[in-house]
Order: sequence, then structure tokens, then C-alpha cells
Amino acid sequence: MSSKKKENLFAAGFLLPVFVIYTVFLFLPLVNTAFYSLTKWNGVTDKVFTGIKNYQELFYNSDYWITFRNTVKLVVITLAIQIPVGLLLAYLLYIKTKGAKLFRTVFFLPVVIAPVAISLMFSLFYNSEIGVFNRILEMMGLGRFQTNWLSNTKTLLYAVMAPQVWQYIGLYVTIFLGALQSVPEELVESAEIDGAGKIRTFFYVVLPQITDFTNICIILCVTGSLKAFEHSWIMTGGGPGVRSAYLGVYMYKTAFVNSDFGTGSAITMTIVALSLVITVLLKSISAFRKE
Amino acid sequence: MKKNHKKWPALFMAAVLGTGLTACGNAGTAVQDTEQPDTAQADSGQKDTEQQNEAAEAENDGSAGEKVSVVLATNWGEGDAKYDYFYPLFEKFQEEHKDTMDITLQTYSTEDYKTKIKTQTASGDLPDVFTYWGGGMMKDMVDAGLLLNVDDYFAASSDVKKEDFEDGAFAYYTSGDGNAYGIPIESTRGIFIANKSLFGQYDLAYPTTYEELVEVSKVFRENDIIPLAIGSNGGTPSEFFFSELYNQYEGAADEISALAGGGSFHTENAVKVAEVIVDMIDQGMLPADTMANGGWTGSLQLYTDQKAAMTYTYPWNFEFISEEMQENSEIIPIPQLPGATVDPSSIISGFTVYGLVINKQSFEDAAKHDAVLALCDFLASDELTQELTKSGMIPCKKVEVNADEQKLIMHKTIDYAKDKTLVQVHYTTMPSADAITMMDSSLDELFIKAITPEEFAQKVQAVLDKNKE
Repeated sequence: MSSKKKENLFAAGFLLPVFVIYTVFLFLPLVNTAFYSLTKWNGVTDKVFTGIKNYQELFYNSDYWITFRNTVKLVVITLAIQIPVGLLLAYLLYIKTKGAKLFRTVFFLPVVIAPVAISLMFSLFYNSEIGVFNRILEMMGLGRFQTNWLSNTKTLLYAVMAPQVWQYIGLYVTIFLGALQSVPEELVESAEIDGAGKIRTFFYVVLPQITDFTNICIILCVTGSLKAFEHSWIMTGGGPGVRSAYLGVYMYKTAFVNSDFGTGSAITMTIVALSLVITVLLKSISAFRKE
Repeated sequence: MKKNHKKWPALFMAAVLGTGLTACGNAGTAVQDTEQPDTAQADSGQKDTEQQNEAAEAENDGSAGEKVSVVLATNWGEGDAKYDYFYPLFEKFQEEHKDTMDITLQTYSTEDYKTKIKTQTASGDLPDVFTYWGGGMMKDMVDAGLLLNVDDYFAASSDVKKEDFEDGAFAYYTSGDGNAYGIPIESTRGIFIANKSLFGQYDLAYPTTYEELVEVSKVFRENDIIPLAIGSNGGTPSEFFFSELYNQYEGAADEISALAGGGSFHTENAVKVAEVIVDMIDQGMLPADTMANGGWTGSLQLYTDQKAAMTYTYPWNFEFISEEMQENSEIIPIPQLPGATVDPSSIISGFTVYGLVINKQSFEDAAKHDAVLALCDFLASDELTQELTKSGMIPCKKVEVNADEQKLIMHKTIDYAKDKTLVQVHYTTMPSADAITMMDSSLDELFIKAITPEEFAQKVQAVLDKNKE
């Protein structure tokens, strides 16, 4: 056997497990789901092929569009808050803030706590009868902002988003801190010698050096938001109605609570499509920036 | 050579991973056999797992004998009002049959339990025997021929007979084909209770009309007391409260009954009742945060903490009302709504709400038949039924109940219900589970005024119409 062939065989040997995992646990279920999305199926009786009817119904379903908007809002808000705040906190730790080790642990702590526990804790905080959130606002002289956080249509969605956004900031702090520590010190020092202030050094020297890490954080942030489930499900069950539900929660409710696996699968396929669109978009932006 | 030293161990590791995957692929039955109940059931879960492990070992060394594995699922787990009464007897039954049966008990909280059974139905992995709701909730399973016609069970059982149950108790489990697919266990009554001391403290009389309720509510609100502890989270307790109000209107009882046979939900009465609820919200009668204070427990807690003057509840919550509060509570009719024609003091919602269903395949499996039969006999036994009544359960089975062992609030309920006409609720007559879910979630929306009464009725009707297509 030629050396080239041997090399290929070895490569195939290493790729095989991953190939099997992806095929069995991702690709085949995805193909199955795509097929289910074209059927009317309650999970028990025979599947009836209905073509694109489920998609047509979704298109005219106001609940679907509410959850779609909620998901897009979550993507935007997590991107707008988690990445900048994570980066800012990491930079503060990087420039040797006093007690940096303690803060590093404190920032990361919520990440390792189960989302279920965080969600339950926040639902108690928000409770207008027994919760502490309104009390704290009152004590801070912000009593006018008191509201029924989970029963007010204006605050409901954001109240459900808040714990998720807060919980994972620590993850980005950790990633950015690692990234910042990998920036060569001499680069920063020479920028400072050349008279660049801390802010200019950060934006023109440090930030370009950690672009790849930023891209990873953005992808983690977007994918985390697209598959968001726990916080919404635990705090409100996606309700009232679907007002605090994301696409993942709506899919779960449709398929597993209402036993409408056909429509549930159609929702899943739209999540896949949305993920693909966003991924392609991010890749294009990233490629454009590199050029 | 040096290169190969690195390659071969790496390839070996890859092979191990691949083998591991294959092993995972074969673990289907193993996972099923060692399935543990939820965390709330950690204690019993551990016991079950130990027993299953022992059974697996016994099978491996060929000493399994005639032991049969059966799965029993219920929502009577830890945290449920019935757990303390059910579990000791279950353990006793398990011990008595340890030589012939390995029983896996799966318990989950109510909402998770509903989803679990639906998922198991879809995956063809139904428990052998399980407690479940009838009506629209069991429709898919009946249509798919998964549940046993309980006449077959009664024919086989020497201990339990159909005549042992109250007349009409089987209606909730009777399908369109005229057969019953569940053994009714629990009947119930909805009660509206008032805190005697709070009414006394503010020198208020119990309201009998909506106008009086408005006046009473004003006084309570001025004193930071919530007039009615009724929220809406996942449709509880709002859904049953909605039905209770609905029954006050002309023709309402017939409309509710007609739902099972394809009747309409979007009626003039439905919109009228939804409008009353919105008015209750506007008048500050309900908790401001209906979502956070919704659910059976959330709503009841405001009342038992004396933060609310009145609430609407059911016997499955009696376990959570302290003796002091039971003493301090008066059951009163719901005030008569504007334009209502039915006297609320003449009716009470009362219906079969829960029961036992049997996996047809398991019952017809010669190896499992006797075990399933014995388990059903236990679950429908007089002994367990009597024990469960201590939690506040009204039995569907005709059993002698020791009045001394009943809670005070249960005595009050029985006294109050004596001369009342029983009325149905939408939950039991809705033809499908998704219509019930839509009613629940739309009520949540109505309670925060995210939708109008008209939209509420339309949303539920839309699901019913879609199912007729």
C-alpha cells in the first residue's frame, strides 16, 4: 500500500467517528424532521402527507411571528449587551484591577449555575407580591419603575431575557480575558510609548489582535440565543400565550405539549434556516472585514 | 517508526470512541430499564433503580424465575398532595409482590407528567399502567388503539367491578365509540372560599352580587388586601374559574356539554365571561401580577398567607391549607354576575377529573397480564381509595369513608355541595388536548390584558375549527 493511501486511511479512521456521530445524531434526524414537517402527525396515528401546508399555516400564524420576533430581539440584545460588557469587564481585569482574581470568579460563577436555578430565582425576584426586585427599586428611590414584571406586556419579554443575558456575560469575560492575555505586551507598550492613550491603544492595537476571539464570541452568542429555551420555559412556560417564548419554546409547546409534531417539525426547520442565514451573514461580514 | 508510535495509539483511541458509540446505540433497552423518576422522587427513584439492577443481575445469572417487569407512571410524586397517602401503600404492595413483579414507579409533577406521557405515546413507550386524564386528553391514545377498554379489565378482575363506582363516573373516560378507556379514581368540586376573619375585621358581608363584590373589593384594596387570589399561569386556576363563572349564564351548561360533540367555544357567553374577567382586573379584584401569582399553589398561597380575602380552589389543594385556615374559611357562592340567570348558590362544579388507564398491549401480553391486573386491582382497591381520601380526594368508587379522618375543609365542602346541582367545566368536555392548551394560554394572555375577550374566544375556536378539518 502506498504511503499516500496509508495517510488517507489514517485520516478516514480519525474522521469516521465524527462522521458517524454527525450522520446518526444530526444529519439523519434533520432529514427526518424535514420529512415530518411535510406531514400532519400527532405522534400516534399515521402520518398524513400534507406538502407545505404546515409552512403555509405558520406563515399566517401570529403566534409564530411573535416568537420569531422574540428570538431575533434576543439575538440582537445578547449581541448588544453580552459582547461589549464581557469585553469591557475582561479589559478591566486585564489592566490589573485590584481583586481581579476575585472578580474573575464572581463573573464566571453564574455560568456554572443551572439555568433552571437562575430562572426560578429570578421569577421569585420579579414577583410583585413577595419578590425583592420592586422592593430594591423602592429603596433606591426608583419606586416609579416598579411594575408587575412578568404580567406587564411591556416588560415581560425583557424580564425573561435579563437572566439569560446576565448569566452568560461571565463566559465572554473569560474568553476575552484569555484573548487579551495572548496579545503581545510589547505591542501595547510600544503603542503607549508612541503616545497612544489607553482608549486608543484598546481600539487600535488590542481590539484588532483579538478579532478571531470576538468572532467566536459572536457565534456563541448568536447560537446560544437561537436555541434559547430554559429561562423562558422555567419562568413563564413561554407565556402568557407565547409572549415570552422563543422559537425553541414554541416548537416544544407545539410538538410535545400539543402533540402536533408536523407543525413542530416545520418550526424546527425554520430555526435551522434562520441559523443558516445568520451564520452566512456573519461569515460574510467577517470575510469583508478581513479584506 | 517514531511517527507510528504516535499514530497507532491515536488510532486505537479513535477505535475506542467508535466502539463506545456502538455501545451507546445498543443502550436503548438498558436506558429504559434503569430509568429513574424525577429529582423530586430521588428517594424512591434510588430504590427503584436498585431493584432494577438486582433484577438485571438476576436475569444475567439465570435466576430471574417468573418475575415480570411493569412500569407504573403517575403524577402522585413527592410534592403532590396524594404522595404521603399513596406511597406507603405502594411500597407495601411492592413488598408483597417482590417475588413476582419488578415495578418501576415513574413520577413527575403534573405539567411535566402530561408532556412525558405525550412523548412516550409518540415514541411507542407507554407505561404499562398509568394515571391520566380522560376526555380530549386521552383522545389520541384511544384513536390509536393504545388504551384498554376497561370492560376487559373488569371482566378479568375478581376484586374490582364496574358497579363499584359511582353512576356517571365513567362518562369522562367514555370515548365516541361508547367504550370507557379509564377507571375513574377522583371526582372533584370547585369551591369559592372567603377568609372569615378578614371579612370580620373590616365588617364586611360576603358578596352575593357582582356589585357587592366590587364594593367589598374596594375596601380590601384600600387595606392592601387582594380581594380574589386568582391568577393565571398555564391556565390555572383561571380555566376552572372561567368555567365556574360561565355556568351562571343561560344555556351555558348545555354549551359546555356540547363541546365534546363538536360544539362551539366562541359563544356569546364566553365573550361575556371574558369581559367580566377583564372588568375584575380593571377593578383591582385580582392580584396585579397574575402570572407570578398564578398556578394552583401560587394563587392559594396568597390566600393562606392572608394576603388575599377570597380564592377559588379544588380538593387536590386541601392538603396545602393549614388547619387554622380551614377553620377560618367559609365556602360561599360566587357572586352573581351581571346578566346571569342561574343562581350561583344552586350550582357547584363537580366532575370526574382523574383516573387510571391501562396499556392495551401490556394487558394482552400473556407474560404481563397477571402483573398488570394485580397492579390495577391495587390502584382501584378500596384500601388505596380510602387512604387517598385523606388528602382531600373525593372518590369515584363507592367506598366507606371515615369522616373523622377527613379534613375540616372537606367536611365543609361536602356540606356545601349537598343540595347543589353539579355542573361541568370546559376542561372535561374539550374534544382535544391542544384546545385545552390554547384555552389555558389564551386565558393567561387575557389576564394580563394582552388580548381582548373577543380575541380570546376566537383563538380557542380557531383550534377547534382546525381540528375539524
